[in-house]
Amino acid sequence: MKKYWTIISIYWQRALTYRFTVLSYRVGEAGETLVLILMWIAIYGGDRTMISGFTVREMITYILVGNFFNAMIRNFLSMVIEKDIKDGRLSMFIVKPMSYFSYILSQEIGRISFSTISSVLTSGFVILCFANTFIWKFDGVYFLVISIMVILAFITELLLSYLVGLIAFWTDEVGGLYATIDRIKKFFSGGYFPLNLLPVVFVNISFALPFAYSFFIPAQLYLKKFDVTVGLKGLLVQCCWILILYGIIKIVWNRGLKKYEGVGM
Amino acid sequence: MSEIEVQQLSRSYEYYRKQQGLSGSLKSLFYRQKLYAQAVQNVSFSIKSGELVGFLGSNGAGKTTTLKMLSGILHPTSGEVKVLGHIPWKREKTYQKQFALLMGQKNQLIQDLPAIETFTLNKAIYEIPEKEFQENMDELVTLFDIKDILDIQVRKLSLGQRMKCELVAALLHKPKVLFLDEPTIGLDVVAQKNIRDFIKKYNQEKKTTIILTSHYMEDIKELCKRVIIINLGKIIYDGALDDLIQKYATHKLLKVIFNENGVKRKEIEKFGEIDAFHPHVCIIKTARSEAKSIAASLLSSNLPIEDIIINEVDIDDVIRQIFNLSPKI
Repeated sequence: MKKYWTIISIYWQRALTYRFTVLSYRVGEAGETLVLILMWIAIYGGDRTMISGFTVREMITYILVGNFFNAMIRNFLSMVIEKDIKDGRLSMFIVKPMSYFSYILSQEIGRISFSTISSVLTSGFVILCFANTFIWKFDGVYFLVISIMVILAFITELLLSYLVGLIAFWTDEVGGLYATIDRIKKFFSGGYFPLNLLPVVFVNISFALPFAYSFFIPAQLYLKKFDVTVGLKGLLVQCCWILILYGIIKIVWNRGLKKYEGVGM
Repeated sequence: MSEIEVQQLSRSYEYYRKQQGLSGSLKSLFYRQKLYAQAVQNVSFSIKSGELVGFLGSNGAGKTTTLKMLSGILHPTSGEVKVLGHIPWKREKTYQKQFALLMGQKNQLIQDLPAIETFTLNKAIYEIPEKEFQENMDELVTLFDIKDILDIQVRKLSLGQRMKCELVAALLHKPKVLFLDEPTIGLDVVAQKNIRDFIKKYNQEKKTTIILTSHYMEDIKELCKRVIIINLGKIIYDGALDDLIQKYATHKLLKVIFNENGVKRKEIEKFGEIDAFHPHVCIIKTARSEAKSIAASLLSSNLPIEDIIINEVDIDDVIRQIFNLSPKI
């Protein structure tokens, strides 16, 4: 455990070196949330009280709380791995008596800790700015389910990013794939708009995919638009995804490493 | 006993060619002809415990590829390797804790933090006990005299200081085998000498087995008794550095010093090929077997000679000569 903690704390320190970058990202993030809220206020206008079962307050709460959860889940691991593989830096890791998987995951957790905390605080601050519109709902059981869901979503995202990064063994660059998956992810996570605005088939698909558990489902649970049993089933789906991703990673890593040529060394 | 055993080691690379220009790039988007290059071909050698061996070769000769296989980064296409009794590419932790790889062109130090943080990181990764870590670090830091730069961001350090810190980071776990790939690259003469002196001392004191690659002949001359020369993926020489000259240097250089009267060029041309000329000092290149007799006939001539020194050809020239000849060897 000490190993992991050392790596996390060292990369946390590194993140603090570039506090300006971290903080300047937050301005853009808060801005994006505000734009979404403005858009929905404009769509509702003064005359529409309900869109697909959402009141304007519910819609604003959905956006705010969804972004709050999402802030805890993101990572930028794919690009780190791509760079390690492409530049041959991976060589420096694979000669060490620690698996790259454990190392890079600890590194990423350390690296994003500061930005995640600041992002969560920013999202929290934006919620406070809308304190009068925001729907405050607290329920112990729901809170517990949502918390576990967010943790599992964090792990899923981390594994998915790791997997995407490993594709660089074959392609050198994964920027395109990363961007595409990011968009699919954002759509199916309900980050653009609640998925139940679309035909029901989209909601069903999203239940089977891992993405909705980082935004849409926890936000719906918060609004109690989903029953807690839906949440529990969701946790099971998430666990399955974690196992599937881990299995695929094992296979891809073993094959990729054989292909790895340590270019640029 | 041999600590490093390499037998019939080969490795090929896959690559493809792209035709020039945009149309070539478009074509390569749909079709890429796979080509294979042999980076290392049937290489065999063994290295004893405590030896410091120089690995020489021009760019792309296969030196780094061989080091990559010895450290387990690459799987070979064929052949066998045992280092400290382990097969490197199995990447067993027990092996990884016993060797270190240092590459002059790749760094393991975290650039945005002081070097001490990377040392702490390696302490955790290599599971070095606190007491041992402190002792090793104090010893290395004192040897290199870098105590006052340990808390400065690595990117703010000079290249020489950085390389010293890289070496410390690589040696904290007291490796038995050390692979040094161009450790002095890009350094100024003083820094090069510092690193060189350190490697020499470390090898003598700790009896660490070291393979060193370098483009600087000074490094090789000063550090290695034995050299392995590799060209186009094949070993073309493996033996003592001194014997290299005996084997490949076909010439000797006679340095003839004249008194204040000096000489004219044409007066000495008949003794052999003139390598350098000055009325008071002249260097004549002769075949090895004839060096003595030419020196004797120079002395018995009427020329105003003060002294004659018979020198071996410089090792740089010998190696250059070997590389020029090697495709035919």
